[in-house]
Amino acid sequence: MTGSADAPIAPLRRAWRRARPSLLLVLPILLALAALGFGAAAWRAERTNRTIAALDAGEDAAVAPDAPVPLLVARVRFLAARDRLEETEPLVAALDRAAAPEAAARARYLVANARVRDAFARIARSDLDKAGPQVTLARQDYRRALRDRPDFWDAKFNLDVASRLIRDFPEFDRTSGDEMRAEPKQIWTDIPGQPRGGP
Amino acid sequence: MRRPAIPLLVALLLALPAGTAAAQVRGVEVRVPRAFGYFLGDLVEAQADIAVDPGFTLQRASLPQPGPVTYWLDLRGVAVEAAPGRVRLRLTYQTFYAALDARQLTVPGFSVTLASETPGGITSAKAEIPGWSLGVSPLREVQPPARDDPTEYLRPDGRGGRLDPVPWLRAALACLALAALALAGLAYDRAWFGRSRRRPFARAARALRRLGRAGASGGEGGYREALRLVHRGLDETDGRRVLADDLPAFLDRHPAFRGEGAALARFFAASRRAFFGRDAAGASAAWPRPEVEASLRRLAAAERAA
Repeated sequence: MTGSADAPIAPLRRAWRRARPSLLLVLPILLALAALGFGAAAWRAERTNRTIAALDAGEDAAVAPDAPVPLLVARVRFLAARDRLEETEPLVAALDRAAAPEAAARARYLVANARVRDAFARIARSDLDKAGPQVTLARQDYRRALRDRPDFWDAKFNLDVASRLIRDFPEFDRTSGDEMRAEPKQIWTDIPGQPRGGP
Repeated sequence: MRRPAIPLLVALLLALPAGTAAAQVRGVEVRVPRAFGYFLGDLVEAQADIAVDPGFTLQRASLPQPGPVTYWLDLRGVAVEAAPGRVRLRLTYQTFYAALDARQLTVPGFSVTLASETPGGITSAKAEIPGWSLGVSPLREVQPPARDDPTEYLRPDGRGGRLDPVPWLRAALACLALAALALAGLAYDRAWFGRSRRRPFARAARALRRLGRAGASGGEGGYREALRLVHRGLDETDGRRVLADDLPAFLDRHPAFRGEGAALARFFAASRRAFFGRDAAGASAAWPRPEVEASLRRLAAAERAA
Protein backbone atom coordinates (compact mmCIF):
# COMPACT_ATOMS: atom_id res chain seq x y z
CA MET A 1 0.00 0.00 0.00
CA THR A 2 1.35 3.34 -0.98
CA GLY A 3 0.31 6.79 0.11
CA SER A 4 -1.31 7.53 -3.24
CA ALA A 5 -3.65 4.56 -2.90
CA ASP A 6 -4.68 5.72 0.55
CA ALA A 7 -5.26 9.30 -0.51
CA PRO A 8 -8.89 9.12 -1.72
CA ILE A 9 -9.91 6.91 1.21
CA ALA A 10 -8.35 9.11 3.88
CA PRO A 11 -11.17 11.69 4.20
CA LEU A 12 -13.73 8.91 4.25
CA ARG A 13 -11.83 7.11 6.93
CA ARG A 14 -11.59 10.28 8.95
CA ALA A 15 -15.32 10.92 8.62
CA TRP A 16 -16.04 7.35 9.64
CA ARG A 17 -13.83 7.69 12.72
CA ARG A 18 -15.56 10.89 13.71
CA ALA A 19 -19.06 9.46 13.20
CA ARG A 20 -18.45 6.04 14.70
CA PRO A 21 -18.96 6.79 18.41
CA SER A 22 -22.28 8.58 17.85
CA LEU A 23 -23.41 5.91 15.38
CA LEU A 24 -22.66 3.24 17.94
CA LEU A 25 -24.72 5.16 20.47
CA VAL A 26 -27.68 5.84 18.15
CA LEU A 27 -27.92 2.36 16.64
CA PRO A 28 -29.15 0.44 19.73
CA ILE A 29 -31.64 3.21 20.52
CA LEU A 30 -33.09 3.16 17.00
CA LEU A 31 -33.27 -0.62 16.93
CA ALA A 32 -34.97 -0.72 20.32
CA LEU A 33 -37.53 1.84 19.12
CA ALA A 34 -38.15 -0.23 15.97
CA ALA A 35 -38.61 -3.36 18.11
CA LEU A 36 -41.10 -1.44 20.25
CA GLY A 37 -43.01 -0.30 17.16
CA PHE A 38 -43.20 -3.81 15.70
CA GLY A 39 -44.25 -5.19 19.08
CA ALA A 40 -47.04 -2.61 19.29
CA ALA A 41 -48.20 -3.57 15.77
CA ALA A 42 -48.25 -7.25 16.75
CA TRP A 43 -50.23 -6.42 19.87
CA ARG A 44 -52.74 -4.36 17.86
CA ALA A 45 -53.15 -7.22 15.37
CA GLU A 46 -53.79 -9.64 18.23
CA ARG A 47 -56.36 -7.29 19.76
CA THR A 48 -58.09 -6.88 16.38
CA ASN A 49 -58.26 -10.66 16.03
CA ARG A 50 -59.89 -10.91 19.46
CA THR A 51 -62.53 -8.37 18.40
CA ILE A 52 -63.16 -10.31 15.16
CA ALA A 53 -63.58 -13.51 17.17
CA ALA A 54 -66.07 -11.74 19.46
CA LEU A 55 -68.07 -10.45 16.47
CA ASP A 56 -68.10 -13.92 14.93
CA ALA A 57 -69.32 -15.31 18.26
CA GLY A 58 -72.24 -12.88 18.17
CA GLU A 59 -71.05 -10.14 20.52
CA ASP A 60 -71.48 -6.72 19.00
CA ALA A 61 -68.56 -4.33 19.09
CA ALA A 62 -68.34 -0.83 17.70
CA VAL A 63 -66.00 -0.57 14.73
CA ALA A 64 -64.61 2.72 13.49
CA PRO A 65 -64.52 3.31 9.73
CA ASP A 66 -60.71 3.47 9.84
CA ALA A 67 -60.41 0.08 11.54
CA PRO A 68 -58.31 -2.70 9.96
CA VAL A 69 -59.86 -4.26 6.86
CA PRO A 70 -60.61 -7.76 8.30
CA LEU A 71 -62.37 -6.12 11.26
CA LEU A 72 -64.58 -4.08 8.92
CA VAL A 73 -65.50 -7.25 7.02
CA ALA A 74 -66.27 -9.06 10.30
CA ARG A 75 -68.55 -6.24 11.39
CA VAL A 76 -70.34 -6.30 7.98
CA ARG A 77 -70.81 -10.05 8.44
CA PHE A 78 -72.24 -9.46 11.91
CA LEU A 79 -74.65 -6.77 10.71
CA ALA A 80 -75.69 -8.67 7.57
CA ALA A 81 -76.53 -11.75 9.64
CA ARG A 82 -78.88 -9.59 11.72
CA ASP A 83 -80.63 -7.75 8.88
CA ARG A 84 -79.08 -4.42 9.81
CA LEU A 85 -78.12 -3.75 6.22
CA GLU A 86 -78.32 0.06 6.34
CA GLU A 87 -75.52 0.10 8.89
CA THR A 88 -73.22 -1.82 6.55
CA GLU A 89 -73.16 0.96 3.96
CA PRO A 90 -70.60 3.24 5.68
CA LEU A 91 -68.40 0.21 6.36
CA VAL A 92 -68.45 -0.90 2.72
CA ALA A 93 -67.70 2.67 1.69
CA ALA A 94 -64.78 2.65 4.15
CA LEU A 95 -63.47 -0.53 2.51
CA ASP A 96 -63.65 1.18 -0.88
CA ARG A 97 -61.72 4.14 0.51
CA ALA A 98 -59.14 1.80 2.07
CA ALA A 99 -58.37 0.52 -1.45
CA ALA A 100 -58.99 -3.07 -0.38
CA PRO A 101 -60.90 -4.47 -3.38
CA GLU A 102 -60.76 -8.07 -2.12
CA ALA A 103 -62.27 -7.18 1.22
CA ALA A 104 -64.81 -4.81 -0.35
CA ALA A 105 -65.89 -7.63 -2.69
CA ARG A 106 -66.26 -9.98 0.29
CA ALA A 107 -68.33 -7.40 2.20
CA ARG A 108 -70.65 -6.77 -0.78
CA TYR A 109 -71.02 -10.53 -1.20
CA LEU A 110 -72.07 -10.85 2.44
CA VAL A 111 -74.61 -8.03 2.12
CA ALA A 112 -75.97 -9.46 -1.14
CA ASN A 113 -76.31 -12.92 0.41
CA ALA A 114 -78.30 -11.38 3.26
CA ARG A 115 -80.57 -9.64 0.75
CA VAL A 116 -81.19 -12.83 -1.24
CA ARG A 117 -81.99 -14.74 1.95
CA ASP A 118 -84.39 -11.99 2.91
CA ALA A 119 -85.94 -12.17 -0.56
CA PHE A 120 -86.37 -15.95 -0.23
CA ALA A 121 -88.12 -15.43 3.10
CA ARG A 122 -90.43 -12.81 1.58
CA ILE A 123 -91.19 -15.01 -1.43
CA ALA A 124 -92.11 -17.82 0.97
CA ARG A 125 -94.56 -15.37 2.59
CA SER A 126 -95.77 -14.27 -0.89
CA ASP A 127 -94.50 -10.75 -0.18
CA LEU A 128 -93.30 -10.36 -3.74
CA ASP A 129 -93.43 -6.56 -3.87
CA LYS A 130 -90.62 -6.21 -1.39
CA ALA A 131 -88.69 -9.27 -2.52
CA GLY A 132 -88.09 -7.82 -5.99
CA PRO A 133 -86.05 -4.78 -4.95
CA GLN A 134 -84.01 -6.91 -2.56
CA VAL A 135 -83.02 -9.26 -5.40
CA THR A 136 -82.22 -6.33 -7.67
CA LEU A 137 -80.01 -4.73 -5.01
CA ALA A 138 -78.34 -8.07 -4.32
CA ARG A 139 -77.57 -8.50 -8.00
CA GLN A 140 -76.00 -5.04 -8.10
CA ASP A 141 -73.85 -5.91 -5.10
CA TYR A 142 -72.75 -9.24 -6.61
CA ARG A 143 -71.92 -7.49 -9.85
CA ARG A 144 -69.93 -4.82 -8.07
CA ALA A 145 -68.10 -7.53 -6.07
CA LEU A 146 -67.25 -9.35 -9.30
CA ARG A 147 -66.00 -6.12 -10.81
CA ASP A 148 -63.54 -5.81 -7.92
CA ARG A 149 -62.67 -9.50 -7.97
CA PRO A 150 -63.46 -11.28 -11.27
CA ASP A 151 -62.39 -14.68 -9.90
CA PHE A 152 -64.79 -14.64 -6.94
CA TRP A 153 -66.52 -17.93 -7.75
CA ASP A 154 -68.98 -17.92 -4.85
CA ALA A 155 -70.22 -14.49 -5.98
CA LYS A 156 -70.61 -15.78 -9.56
CA PHE A 157 -72.64 -18.70 -8.33
CA ASN A 158 -74.90 -16.62 -6.12
CA LEU A 159 -75.33 -13.98 -8.82
CA ASP A 160 -76.53 -16.78 -11.04
CA VAL A 161 -79.01 -17.84 -8.34
CA ALA A 162 -80.24 -14.26 -7.91
CA SER A 163 -80.37 -13.71 -11.68
CA ARG A 164 -82.80 -16.57 -12.05
CA LEU A 165 -85.15 -14.92 -9.57
CA ILE A 166 -85.32 -11.80 -11.70
CA ARG A 167 -83.88 -11.94 -15.16
CA ASP A 168 -82.44 -9.12 -17.17
CA PHE A 169 -84.44 -8.04 -20.12
CA PRO A 170 -82.70 -6.69 -23.15
CA GLU A 171 -83.61 -3.25 -24.37
CA PHE A 172 -85.95 -4.37 -27.18
CA ASP A 173 -88.13 -6.16 -24.68
CA ARG A 174 -88.30 -3.17 -22.47
CA THR A 175 -89.25 -0.76 -25.25
CA SER A 176 -91.78 -3.00 -26.96
CA GLY A 177 -94.35 -2.66 -24.23
CA ASP A 178 -95.03 -2.88 -20.57
CA GLU A 179 -95.97 -6.50 -20.54
CA MET A 180 -93.16 -8.92 -19.95
CA ARG A 181 -93.01 -12.47 -21.08
CA ALA A 182 -92.77 -14.94 -18.26
CA GLU A 183 -91.03 -18.18 -18.94
CA PRO A 184 -93.34 -20.93 -17.76
CA LYS A 185 -90.56 -23.21 -16.55
CA GLN A 186 -89.27 -20.75 -13.98
CA ILE A 187 -90.68 -21.20 -10.55
CA TRP A 188 -90.53 -17.54 -9.60
CA THR A 189 -91.36 -15.57 -12.62
CA ASP A 190 -90.62 -11.96 -13.18
CA ILE A 191 -91.97 -10.14 -10.26
CA PRO A 192 -92.70 -6.71 -11.74
CA GLY A 193 -94.84 -8.33 -14.43
CA GLN A 194 -98.12 -6.60 -15.19
CA PRO A 195 -101.39 -8.35 -15.77
CA ARG A 196 -102.46 -8.44 -19.37
CA GLY A 197 -105.34 -6.41 -20.59
CA GLY A 198 -105.90 -2.72 -21.07
CA PRO A 199 -107.81 -0.41 -18.78
CA MET B 1 -49.33 -14.61 -21.49
CA ARG B 2 -51.52 -16.50 -23.89
CA ARG B 3 -51.15 -15.64 -27.51
CA PRO B 4 -54.48 -14.92 -29.10
CA ALA B 5 -54.69 -17.97 -31.29
CA ILE B 6 -57.94 -17.71 -33.14
CA PRO B 7 -58.34 -14.89 -35.62
CA LEU B 8 -62.00 -14.64 -35.02
CA LEU B 9 -63.07 -12.14 -37.57
CA VAL B 10 -61.19 -10.55 -40.34
CA ALA B 11 -63.05 -7.55 -41.57
CA LEU B 12 -61.66 -5.78 -44.53
CA LEU B 13 -63.26 -2.44 -44.58
CA LEU B 14 -64.30 -2.33 -48.19
CA ALA B 15 -67.60 -0.77 -47.31
CA LEU B 16 -66.04 2.58 -46.46
CA PRO B 17 -67.40 5.32 -48.68
CA ALA B 18 -64.40 6.86 -50.34
CA GLY B 19 -61.48 5.06 -51.87
CA THR B 20 -59.03 7.30 -50.03
CA ALA B 21 -60.34 6.30 -46.63
CA ALA B 22 -60.12 2.66 -47.59
CA ALA B 23 -56.52 3.18 -48.47
CA GLN B 24 -55.76 4.83 -45.14
CA VAL B 25 -57.23 2.02 -43.05
CA ARG B 26 -56.14 -1.20 -44.67
CA GLY B 27 -57.98 -3.66 -42.49
CA VAL B 28 -59.27 -4.52 -39.03
CA GLU B 29 -58.88 -7.85 -37.35
CA VAL B 30 -60.32 -8.89 -34.00
CA ARG B 31 -58.70 -11.76 -32.12
CA VAL B 32 -59.78 -13.40 -28.88
CA PRO B 33 -57.94 -16.19 -27.01
CA ARG B 34 -61.13 -18.24 -27.17
CA ALA B 35 -64.61 -17.37 -28.33
CA PHE B 36 -66.57 -19.74 -26.10
CA GLY B 37 -66.77 -21.04 -22.56
CA TYR B 38 -67.25 -17.84 -20.58
CA PHE B 39 -69.13 -17.82 -17.29
CA LEU B 40 -70.77 -14.78 -15.82
CA GLY B 41 -68.27 -12.46 -14.22
CA ASP B 42 -65.40 -13.69 -16.43
CA LEU B 43 -63.02 -11.21 -17.98
CA VAL B 44 -62.89 -11.38 -21.78
CA GLU B 45 -59.76 -10.18 -23.48
CA ALA B 46 -59.97 -9.12 -27.08
CA GLN B 47 -57.38 -7.68 -29.36
CA ALA B 48 -58.21 -5.49 -32.34
CA ASP B 49 -55.46 -4.89 -34.89
CA ILE B 50 -56.00 -1.98 -37.22
CA ALA B 51 -53.64 -1.91 -40.19
CA VAL B 52 -53.14 1.71 -41.25
CA ASP B 53 -51.05 3.72 -43.68
CA PRO B 54 -47.86 5.10 -42.15
CA GLY B 55 -48.36 8.39 -40.37
CA PHE B 56 -51.81 7.63 -39.05
CA THR B 57 -52.28 7.70 -35.32
CA LEU B 58 -55.27 6.91 -33.16
CA GLN B 59 -57.36 9.76 -31.78
CA ARG B 60 -57.59 8.78 -28.14
CA ALA B 61 -60.84 10.69 -27.63
CA SER B 62 -62.59 8.41 -30.11
CA LEU B 63 -61.91 5.29 -28.01
CA PRO B 64 -64.91 3.84 -26.18
CA GLN B 65 -65.08 4.80 -22.53
CA PRO B 66 -64.84 1.99 -19.97
CA GLY B 67 -68.29 1.29 -18.55
CA PRO B 68 -71.43 -0.64 -19.45
CA VAL B 69 -71.67 -1.60 -23.12
CA THR B 70 -74.92 -3.54 -22.93
CA TYR B 71 -76.97 -4.72 -19.97
CA TRP B 72 -74.83 -7.86 -19.71
CA LEU B 73 -71.42 -6.56 -20.74
CA ASP B 74 -69.01 -4.03 -19.24
CA LEU B 75 -65.93 -2.64 -20.91
CA ARG B 76 -63.23 -2.68 -18.24
CA GLY B 77 -60.30 -1.15 -20.04
CA VAL B 78 -58.74 -0.22 -23.35
CA ALA B 79 -54.99 -0.20 -23.91
CA VAL B 80 -53.43 1.06 -27.11
CA GLU B 81 -50.18 -0.16 -28.61
CA ALA B 82 -49.03 1.76 -31.64
CA ALA B 83 -46.48 0.45 -34.10
CA PRO B 84 -45.65 1.76 -37.59
CA GLY B 85 -48.43 0.69 -39.89
CA ARG B 86 -50.49 -0.88 -37.14
CA VAL B 87 -52.59 0.15 -34.13
CA ARG B 88 -53.44 -2.56 -31.63
CA LEU B 89 -56.27 -2.16 -29.13
CA ARG B 90 -56.31 -4.46 -26.15
CA LEU B 91 -59.90 -4.54 -24.90
CA THR B 92 -60.92 -6.07 -21.60
CA TYR B 93 -64.61 -6.83 -21.19
CA GLN B 94 -66.46 -8.46 -18.34
CA THR B 95 -69.57 -10.50 -19.09
CA PHE B 96 -72.44 -10.68 -16.62
CA TYR B 97 -74.73 -12.83 -18.71
CA ALA B 98 -76.40 -15.40 -16.48
CA ALA B 99 -76.79 -18.07 -19.12
CA LEU B 100 -79.28 -20.91 -18.85
CA ASP B 101 -77.68 -22.73 -21.75
CA ALA B 102 -74.55 -22.33 -23.83
CA ARG B 103 -75.23 -19.63 -26.39
CA GLN B 104 -73.58 -17.14 -28.67
CA LEU B 105 -73.98 -13.45 -27.92
CA THR B 106 -72.83 -10.54 -30.03
CA VAL B 107 -70.38 -8.07 -28.60
CA PRO B 108 -71.21 -4.80 -30.34
CA GLY B 109 -68.60 -3.16 -32.49
CA PHE B 110 -67.55 0.46 -32.41
CA SER B 111 -65.60 2.88 -34.54
CA VAL B 112 -62.44 4.81 -33.80
CA THR B 113 -60.92 7.78 -35.58
CA LEU B 114 -57.39 7.83 -36.93
CA ALA B 115 -55.66 10.99 -38.08
CA SER B 116 -52.57 11.90 -40.02
CA GLU B 117 -51.08 15.35 -39.65
CA THR B 118 -49.38 16.62 -42.78
CA PRO B 119 -48.25 20.12 -43.71
CA GLY B 120 -51.32 20.36 -45.90
CA GLY B 121 -53.71 19.69 -43.02
CA ILE B 122 -55.12 16.85 -40.99
CA THR B 123 -56.49 13.81 -42.75
CA SER B 124 -58.77 11.68 -40.65
CA ALA B 125 -60.17 8.24 -41.27
CA LYS B 126 -62.63 6.05 -39.43
CA ALA B 127 -61.95 2.43 -38.60
CA GLU B 128 -64.93 0.23 -37.82
CA ILE B 129 -64.20 -2.44 -35.23
CA PRO B 130 -66.79 -5.08 -36.13
CA GLY B 131 -69.00 -6.79 -33.59
CA TRP B 132 -67.96 -10.33 -32.73
CA SER B 133 -69.65 -13.23 -31.10
CA LEU B 134 -68.94 -14.58 -27.65
CA GLY B 135 -69.97 -18.01 -26.39
CA VAL B 136 -71.27 -17.95 -22.82
CA SER B 137 -71.92 -21.04 -20.73
CA PRO B 138 -74.18 -21.67 -17.74
CA LEU B 139 -72.65 -22.06 -14.31
CA ARG B 140 -75.41 -24.27 -12.90
CA GLU B 141 -77.92 -26.77 -14.12
CA VAL B 142 -81.20 -25.35 -15.40
CA GLN B 143 -83.19 -27.04 -12.67
CA PRO B 144 -81.15 -27.71 -9.55
CA PRO B 145 -82.31 -30.52 -7.26
CA ALA B 146 -85.15 -29.34 -5.05
CA ARG B 147 -84.21 -28.14 -1.60
CA ASP B 148 -86.47 -27.57 1.37
CA ASP B 149 -84.79 -24.35 2.35
CA PRO B 150 -84.29 -22.12 -0.69
CA THR B 151 -81.26 -20.44 0.94
CA GLU B 152 -79.42 -23.73 0.40
CA TYR B 153 -79.22 -22.80 -3.27
CA LEU B 154 -76.74 -20.10 -2.26
CA ARG B 155 -73.07 -20.59 -1.69
CA PRO B 156 -72.23 -19.99 2.00
CA ASP B 157 -70.84 -16.73 3.32
CA GLY B 158 -67.41 -18.22 3.92
CA ARG B 159 -64.91 -17.55 6.64
CA GLY B 160 -63.57 -14.10 7.29
CA GLY B 161 -59.91 -13.21 7.25
CA ARG B 162 -57.83 -12.46 10.31
CA LEU B 163 -54.76 -10.34 10.77
CA ASP B 164 -51.50 -12.23 11.12
CA PRO B 165 -49.46 -10.90 14.06
CA VAL B 166 -46.61 -13.38 13.55
CA PRO B 167 -44.60 -11.33 10.99
CA TRP B 168 -44.80 -8.28 13.28
CA LEU B 169 -43.71 -10.37 16.24
CA ARG B 170 -40.85 -11.84 14.26
CA ALA B 171 -39.73 -8.39 13.15
CA ALA B 172 -39.93 -7.15 16.75
CA LEU B 173 -37.80 -10.04 17.99
CA ALA B 174 -35.27 -9.56 15.20
CA CYS B 175 -35.00 -5.84 16.02
CA LEU B 176 -34.66 -6.64 19.71
CA ALA B 177 -31.84 -9.10 19.00
CA LEU B 178 -30.11 -6.55 16.77
CA ALA B 179 -30.56 -3.88 19.44
CA ALA B 180 -28.94 -6.17 22.02
CA LEU B 181 -26.10 -6.82 19.60
CA ALA B 182 -25.66 -3.10 18.98
CA LEU B 183 -25.73 -2.47 22.71
CA ALA B 184 -23.03 -5.08 23.21
CA GLY B 185 -21.01 -3.37 20.50
CA LEU B 186 -21.44 -0.04 22.24
CA ALA B 187 -20.44 -1.55 25.59
CA TYR B 188 -17.34 -3.03 24.00
CA ASP B 189 -16.47 0.21 22.28
CA ARG B 190 -16.85 2.25 25.45
CA ALA B 191 -15.23 -0.51 27.55
CA TRP B 192 -18.07 -0.45 30.08
CA PHE B 193 -17.16 -3.81 31.56
CA GLY B 194 -13.46 -3.52 32.31
CA ARG B 195 -11.54 -4.23 29.14
CA SER B 196 -10.13 -0.95 28.01
CA ARG B 197 -9.18 -1.87 24.44
CA ARG B 198 -6.00 0.22 24.64
CA ARG B 199 -7.85 3.38 25.54
CA PRO B 200 -5.65 5.04 28.15
CA PHE B 201 -7.81 8.16 28.53
CA ALA B 202 -10.99 6.13 28.96
CA ARG B 203 -9.23 4.12 31.64
CA ALA B 204 -7.94 7.28 33.29
CA ALA B 205 -11.42 8.83 33.26
CA ARG B 206 -12.84 5.72 34.86
CA ALA B 207 -10.08 5.64 37.47
CA LEU B 208 -10.82 9.27 38.29
CA ARG B 209 -14.51 8.51 38.73
CA ARG B 210 -13.60 5.60 41.00
CA LEU B 211 -11.36 7.93 42.96
CA GLY B 212 -14.25 10.36 43.36
CA ARG B 213 -16.59 7.58 44.53
CA ALA B 214 -14.00 6.32 47.03
CA GLY B 215 -14.04 9.78 48.63
CA ALA B 216 -10.32 10.28 47.99
CA SER B 217 -10.87 13.22 45.70
CA GLY B 218 -10.61 15.95 48.26
CA GLY B 219 -7.40 17.60 49.27
CA GLU B 220 -4.08 18.06 47.58
CA GLY B 221 -3.28 14.35 47.44
CA GLY B 222 -6.44 13.69 45.48
CA TYR B 223 -5.74 16.51 43.07
CA ARG B 224 -2.17 15.30 42.46
CA GLU B 225 -3.50 11.81 41.87
CA ALA B 226 -5.93 13.20 39.26
CA LEU B 227 -3.09 14.98 37.49
CA ARG B 228 -1.01 11.80 37.61
CA LEU B 229 -3.86 9.94 35.89
CA VAL B 230 -3.85 12.48 33.05
CA HIS B 231 -0.07 12.11 32.77
CA ARG B 232 -0.38 8.36 32.63
CA GLY B 233 -3.04 8.60 29.93
CA LEU B 234 -0.81 10.86 27.82
CA ASP B 235 2.22 8.61 28.29
CA GLU B 236 0.36 5.45 27.41
CA THR B 237 -1.23 7.06 24.38
CA ASP B 238 2.13 8.15 23.03
CA GLY B 239 4.06 5.11 24.22
CA ARG B 240 6.71 7.33 25.81
CA ARG B 241 6.98 9.98 28.44
CA VAL B 242 5.24 13.25 27.42
CA LEU B 243 6.40 16.47 29.05
CA ALA B 244 5.17 20.03 28.59
CA ASP B 245 7.69 20.73 25.81
CA ASP B 246 6.63 17.62 23.91
CA LEU B 247 3.03 18.82 23.59
CA PRO B 248 3.22 20.21 19.99
CA ALA B 249 5.02 17.06 18.81
CA PHE B 250 2.40 14.93 20.63
CA LEU B 251 -0.45 16.80 18.93
CA ASP B 252 1.27 16.28 15.57
CA ARG B 253 1.52 12.57 16.18
CA HIS B 254 -2.06 12.32 17.48
CA PRO B 255 -4.13 14.86 15.56
CA ALA B 256 -7.33 13.56 17.13
CA PHE B 257 -6.45 15.44 20.34
CA ARG B 258 -5.69 18.72 18.63
CA GLY B 259 -9.05 20.13 19.77
CA GLU B 260 -7.95 19.61 23.35
CA GLY B 261 -4.59 21.36 22.87
CA ALA B 262 -5.54 24.35 25.01
CA ALA B 263 -6.80 22.16 27.84
CA LEU B 264 -3.62 20.10 27.69
CA ALA B 265 -1.50 23.24 27.86
CA ARG B 266 -3.39 24.30 30.99
CA PHE B 267 -2.93 20.82 32.36
CA PHE B 268 0.85 21.01 31.91
CA ALA B 269 0.92 24.41 33.59
CA ALA B 270 -1.08 23.09 36.54
CA SER B 271 1.08 19.98 36.70
CA ARG B 272 4.25 22.07 36.86
CA ARG B 273 2.81 24.16 39.71
CA ALA B 274 1.56 21.14 41.61
CA PHE B 275 4.59 18.90 41.32
CA PHE B 276 7.56 21.23 40.90
CA GLY B 277 6.21 24.41 42.49
CA ARG B 278 4.73 22.39 45.36
CA ASP B 279 1.62 24.59 45.06
CA ALA B 280 -1.18 22.13 44.63
CA ALA B 281 -3.76 24.56 45.99
CA GLY B 282 -2.79 27.22 43.46
CA ALA B 283 -2.75 24.68 40.69
CA SER B 284 -6.21 23.43 41.57
CA ALA B 285 -7.44 27.02 41.63
CA ALA B 286 -6.03 27.58 38.13
CA TRP B 287 -7.36 24.32 36.73
CA PRO B 288 -10.12 23.13 39.07
CA ARG B 289 -10.90 19.53 39.52
CA PRO B 290 -14.29 19.47 37.73
CA GLU B 291 -12.44 20.78 34.71
CA VAL B 292 -9.91 17.98 35.03
CA GLU B 293 -12.74 15.51 34.90
CA ALA B 294 -14.45 17.26 32.00
CA SER B 295 -11.20 17.46 30.04
CA LEU B 296 -10.50 13.80 30.65
CA ARG B 297 -13.99 12.92 29.45
CA ARG B 298 -13.45 14.96 26.30
CA LEU B 299 -10.06 13.33 25.78
CA ALA B 300 -11.68 9.90 26.13
CA ALA B 301 -14.33 10.89 23.58
CA ALA B 302 -11.65 12.14 21.16
CA GLU B 303 -9.81 8.88 21.71
CA ARG B 304 -12.93 6.89 20.77
CA ALA B 305 -13.22 8.89 17.57
CA ALA B 306 -9.51 8.45 16.77
